Amino acid sequence: MAGSAEAAASTSSRRTLARGPRRGLLAFLGRREVLPTVLIAPVLIFFIIWNTIPTLWLLGLSFYRFSLTSGRPPIYSGFYNFTSILNDSSTWFDLSRTFIFVVLAVGIETIAGVLLGLLFWGSERLPGRRVALTLLFAPMVVTPVAAGTFWRLIYDPTFGVLNWFIRSLGLPAVRFLSDANVAFGAVLAVDVWMWTPFMVLMMLAALASVPKAELEAAEIDRLTWFQRFRLVILYHGKFILMLGILLRTIDAFKTMDLIFDMTFGGPGTATQLIAISLFRSAFESFNMGSSSALAVVLLLISIAFTATFLYVLYLRERRTADA
Amino acid sequence: METDPAAEVGAALAGRKQNRVGRRRLIQSSAALGAAVLACPRYAFSQSEKASPLAGKSIHMQILGVAGWLPSKLGVDMSPEFAKYAKDKYGYDVSFSFADAPFGTLFQKAATSLATRSQEYNIIISDSQWLGALATPKWIVQINDIIAKNPELNIKWWSPSIHSSYQVFPDGTNKLWGFPQVGDVYGIFIRKDILEGPGEADAFKAKYGRPLPTTWEAFEAMDYEDWTDFITFFNRPEKGYYGLAAQYSREYDAASCPTMSVMRSLGGDVWDPKTGQVQGILDTPSNAHAMELYKAWLKFQPPGATNYFIAEVIDAFTQGKVFAAWQWVATGATMIPASLKDKVIVVPPPSFKRADGSRVRNYIIGGQPWVINAFNDPEHMQVAIDFMKWWYLPETSHEYLMRGGMPCDYATCSRPDFDGINPWNRTYKYMLLRSSDFWHDPKYSEMLSDQQDAFTGYYTGQIKDPLHALQWVACQQQKILYDEGTAVKAPTGACAGIRL
Repeated sequence: MAGSAEAAASTSSRRTLARGPRRGLLAFLGRREVLPTVLIAPVLIFFIIWNTIPTLWLLGLSFYRFSLTSGRPPIYSGFYNFTSILNDSSTWFDLSRTFIFVVLAVGIETIAGVLLGLLFWGSERLPGRRVALTLLFAPMVVTPVAAGTFWRLIYDPTFGVLNWFIRSLGLPAVRFLSDANVAFGAVLAVDVWMWTPFMVLMMLAALASVPKAELEAAEIDRLTWFQRFRLVILYHGKFILMLGILLRTIDAFKTMDLIFDMTFGGPGTATQLIAISLFRSAFESFNMGSSSALAVVLLLISIAFTATFLYVLYLRERRTADA
Repeated sequence: METDPAAEVGAALAGRKQNRVGRRRLIQSSAALGAAVLACPRYAFSQSEKASPLAGKSIHMQILGVAGWLPSKLGVDMSPEFAKYAKDKYGYDVSFSFADAPFGTLFQKAATSLATRSQEYNIIISDSQWLGALATPKWIVQINDIIAKNPELNIKWWSPSIHSSYQVFPDGTNKLWGFPQVGDVYGIFIRKDILEGPGEADAFKAKYGRPLPTTWEAFEAMDYEDWTDFITFFNRPEKGYYGLAAQYSREYDAASCPTMSVMRSLGGDVWDPKTGQVQGILDTPSNAHAMELYKAWLKFQPPGATNYFIAEVIDAFTQGKVFAAWQWVATGATMIPASLKDKVIVVPPPSFKRADGSRVRNYIIGGQPWVINAFNDPEHMQVAIDFMKWWYLPETSHEYLMRGGMPCDYATCSRPDFDGINPWNRTYKYMLLRSSDFWHDPKYSEMLSDQQDAFTGYYTGQIKDPLHALQWVACQQQKILYDEGTAVKAPTGACAGIRL
């Protein structure tokens, strides 16, 4: 009996040994705090390699004077690049032009997006709605460089189709991209054409998040259309809508490709946004030190945008919680 | 004592004929014959190895050039000819691929690759002003030694400016970096069919009291004022075409090259390459006047001409929207498509009257040199050198010329039939002697960028006073060069308050 008990114990021990590591690994992975870390690790590693390290590198380079074509090693210069950028009037002109562009572009896109979103939301049984939606979203999926090229040709005063229509009405041709007074508006219009569909999409998503029961209750309570929009739709959909505005703001702030292809910042400096200046400093002049400093400044501005939006978004909740 | 295998085989065969061949002798002869058969190709191969260490190898080369630019394209189109030549002469196989980018972004493409010490682009067609930016970080090969070892590359050029523009950096030294790929100058393309239309000559004479210029010689004698009358006469928007198309765009060097041509023709300059001084040289009333003269011609051009660069001028001219076009002559084959064959005359652009009464053409040169990537491994380096030797062979130069290219060597340019081969050739040769380059400084693109801002700002009406635009550019460029250590003097105090 003793012998058989020993044998049984030995077999059990062997099984335990055989299963041990596997069971141990599973047990380790099964721990509540470990599995999420393991799952997120690949993305985290990717993020660190492609985002964090280059950002730190950029930050470091911003304190050096380094031109790629000078043939000289980087020279530590403290805050020279930053003071130089902030003392340069053209930086401020470009920044103010960019802010105007962002405010106008995002503002128009949001208003148009909300209106079109409501229109499509309220016309679910309209024939051709899907085709209209597909057509509406088409500009959003076009590459900005391609869109820039199309519009450059459409705007052309000599060969462009838009000026053909204008001339056929007996009006003089408009120099959309070569008149310093018109070019900014022309470029802005293309950005609105491209990105209004995105805001329509966000508005439709926001509307989908509104509980039907509340809308019906609002209707029974005979709230006006505007009250329903403000108290019910906006209350439930504001987070999605704000997310859309935030994404568009950051995106509009770094608009480069569209303008690069249409005007390259011209005529003169009429459409020169800050991202174009950064591109020119980095990849025309190859001043990697001062370009890095400018990129750091723009990064800080983008972070400030995000923080402001989030602050505004949660302002009411915070006030309620404080109360 | 060396034995001649062939003689031994011959003797063996003779002995056999006489039926006096022993077995031992036969084996010896067979061995000798076998050795001779094996030795022949081995001998031939070893000779080939001596000729080129690459014999028997296959090598792939990549050329980086200008997108949509015929002379660049010709360099690539003709590369299969080099492959045949290399196989015959050096015994190696070579294939080519082509990467390209437009003028405005080609330098970025080259620089970002070279900065990583890559040999992705073995040979690069560089713009002439980039020599400094490419040579200073030692991204391209200094070719003095290559020329010393390969005397056939020591070529006599058509004009001194070819050497100074496409080969030398720093200016005035004997340090060579590039081999001229294409020479280029400004010319004016004129619609001969409209010019020679019925009644035009009489109407012109009635209006201006002098004969209508129709010959190359007559245009060569014309200055800016004559040209203004001429373009005014042929500016006919009501008939669907304008007098002229020229370059004013913000893109790359579009507005700068013609403006600087007018400045220099009037006796001005843009900087002093010896001291790096810009202020006081660029921002002068004479240069401001040059900008006014160039801007004045906008009124004869299609709406939107302030956005014209090379491609837009080609479109306007080939689609019949303009009577004449101020354009780089290297675009000749594109500017004169089959539909305009024999309908176009290419003439020198205007001379400018200086204060002393002389009439001068001192234009900016175009064109691009070949440069060789300094990070090429020895095999690719050797092929690049062999390619250059082939490129300057008389038959290659002639083929290039016949396909619409613009060779720079004296031998080809002085051929008796040169002027008649392409309609722009005569103007090309003439203007090569009256054109030269501007900056070769490593900071060239930064200086250009500021200059383009100011020049286009003035041409588009954002800046009213050309002298103010020039003062701003001079301050910016002086600062760039001073910071870099090229300029002796710092920008003056006046720069502190100047805004564009």
